[in-house]
Amino acid sequence: MARSSGGIEVEGTVTECLRNATFRVELENGHKVLAHISGKIRKNYIKILPFDRVLVELSPYDLNRGRILFRYRN
Amino acid sequence: MKSGHVVTRVAEQQWHAMEGDRVVGRGDTSRRTDGRTFLSVDAWHGTVFDRLAEAMLADLPKPLYTLVDETDLDLTSRWQRAGFTTWRREWEYVVPTTSVPVPPPPGVTMLTFGEAEHDPLRELDLVIRAEVEAGPGWHEMPAEVLPGPVPLDPSKYAVAAQGDAYLGLVRLGPVPRRPRIGLVAVRSDARRRGIARALLTHVLAALHRDGVESASAEVKESNEAALRLFEGLSARRASSNLELVLR
Repeated sequence: MARSSGGIEVEGTVTECLRNATFRVELENGHKVLAHISGKIRKNYIKILPFDRVLVELSPYDLNRGRILFRYRN
Repeated sequence: MKSGHVVTRVAEQQWHAMEGDRVVGRGDTSRRTDGRTFLSVDAWHGTVFDRLAEAMLADLPKPLYTLVDETDLDLTSRWQRAGFTTWRREWEYVVPTTSVPVPPPPGVTMLTFGEAEHDPLRELDLVIRAEVEAGPGWHEMPAEVLPGPVPLDPSKYAVAAQGDAYLGLVRLGPVPRRPRIGLVAVRSDARRRGIARALLTHVLAALHRDGVESASAEVKESNEAALRLFEGLSARRASSNLELVLR
């Protein structure tokens, strides 16, 4: 999956599915962010559930927000 | 938010919005095997989204499609602002695996994952594909049901059989923790005998034995038979996807 973004990409774990298609993700450094899913994930019907390991691109405008770029298989 | 972002088509199916030398938004297209082109745009701000969408729509022939989670009001309104309207809605169901298995009709047996033989499964697959083409068409099918023939992996299929003939199938996607029921199909000359319900409860019981608590399934809003089937198994609606179209 091509995912070049130019932004900061960090791995994390989904801890909660929130309303408005948003997820709470705990990053590897313990920081928690609110993240939406990327358009490619949405187009491919990839479902995100709590405990999923994901790759998050952090917003350059707000480091408390991000976008889920990739869901790891395990 | 500054204006004046530069949007560039960086590849056949990819656009970038740049702020200085930084990528602040991306647009992508993908062409499904049913011939439809789907768009996605990722941008941190609405103005960047609008610029990307504008550039992509100017470059691409219509009709164009996109997919949104209906609860994502922000994204939905951005696409509507670009002229997209709702084409169809799919409910996502969470299906508990605790249903009591329903016995199949007399003479029909259930083959669990990996038990089906490849050649009769291929034959059933071709029959179902022909019925899709003669009936609703591929654009009405779930995204993962591809025009074919495609490689078949019997380990992903549970099958209803009568003698040597296969009558119906359930395909399961191996999604961690919550497997995805990707397709439930019974050939037209074997419908209205309870085969789909028996197959589905058989599959759910097998998942339950493996310690899986629930599965997921997407059902088109207008598919009343499928809605009845899943809701009869105590499935609950968890979310909905909207397919939007720009003609």
